Amino acid sequence: MDVMRALEALLFVSPEPLSLVRLCELTGHAPGPVQRALAELGERHGAESGLEVAEIAGGWVLRTQADLGPVCDRLRARPPEERLSPAALETLAVIAYLEPVSRPDITRVRGVSAEATVASLLERGMIEEAGRPHEGGAMRYRTTPAFQERFGLKGTGDLPPIAHFELTGDEAEAVRRRLREAGHLSDELA
Amino acid sequence: MSASVRVADPLRLPLELELFEGPLDLLLTLVLREEIELGELPLRELVSATLSGDADWDAPTTGELVLLLCSLAELKARRLVGDDDEEEYGPDPDAELVRERLAAQLIAFAPFQRAGVWLRTQDGIDGAVRYRRVPLGLPQRALAPHRPEELADALARLMIAPPTPSLGHLNRHRVNVGEIVAELRGALKRSGQVSFDEMTSGVDRLAQGMTLIACLELARRGEARLAQPVAFGDITLQRHAAGSGG
Repeated sequence: MDVMRALEALLFVSPEPLSLVRLCELTGHAPGPVQRALAELGERHGAESGLEVAEIAGGWVLRTQADLGPVCDRLRARPPEERLSPAALETLAVIAYLEPVSRPDITRVRGVSAEATVASLLERGMIEEAGRPHEGGAMRYRTTPAFQERFGLKGTGDLPPIAHFELTGDEAEAVRRRLREAGHLSDELA
Repeated sequence: MSASVRVADPLRLPLELELFEGPLDLLLTLVLREEIELGELPLRELVSATLSGDADWDAPTTGELVLLLCSLAELKARRLVGDDDEEEYGPDPDAELVRERLAAQLIAFAPFQRAGVWLRTQDGIDGAVRYRRVPLGLPQRALAPHRPEELADALARLMIAPPTPSLGHLNRHRVNVGEIVAELRGALKRSGQVSFDEMTSGVDRLAQGMTLIACLELARRGEARLAQPVAFGDITLQRHAAGSGG
């Protein structure tokens, strides 16, 4: 059996990403040949193809090229997806970096209530319940494969290090300066 | 400090103002981020809405709320008249602590805000890649072979109308003691003596019990006299001469 043709067929019929382990099980080949075949398959589905091979949400998929979304939507009569609000994206970032995390903890980090935003993200399938740490504890939440698909992440934790986004000393000082100028901080404490 | 009379976090207090609707902590954050113009915030309405609720505040909670409201009033006053007083008297250390906490929280939250902005740039909503969403077909279960006669028989049984369910148990059986008393009085008036067994012949146990109560009631009122010559035998109800007018 040609591994590449088998992989192409499997990715075509699968409704969800297939992990390397699963692909090895299904094809009966070792990881090395499967990975090489995936790379060759990716080259075959280049920019001139309507499909592309991508590693997403913990596995491999065969998906349409980005520029063909509108024509695909005509077939599905797909309603346009709603954009996520800045508050929803911030909450999603908190959950993605701290997961599993409870709603009180999200509220503590954001400084404002996260109740409505968490409910909205649950409804959109971006997050899911991840159990309670102990009986009577607050429910914790984590991101879903749908979140990873939407944001092009290969899996859980495929995010830039949070340190990448931290304020530099100058930027933190600028925040304090703005607060001071607005009358919120005195020169002594700022 | 009693937990039963205390709201866990006074900042979660919901407010309804013309300018704003939501929890107090959100209002404070928006004010301090300058997303709500402090000059337009109706402080009198805010204080009234905060303190007029049904919550039974304890002293520390009330104190915290009053401090927060005073801080807002002070900020608004400074904004309106300038900061000359601060130069003269120096900053209020409590209010400064609250503001320092806000600065620390804003700085700590900034990385997640930036990560949210980064997520926006990664949002596939505009990239428009599409995934196959058709679920894999499940293997069909083969039906066990049946003869046509068996299927026809099963269908025929399905088409037989089930018996109409009885609603008899929903009708409450009522026995009126007053009516039985009136009936006994009539019988006594006509014949002067009534047999309990005859009066209760053919009636259910509830009516028998109510008839006995009616007999006892007539005896209590002195309108009749009860007699039972033999244990467990028939009870005779005789009209009492003194109570005959009742």
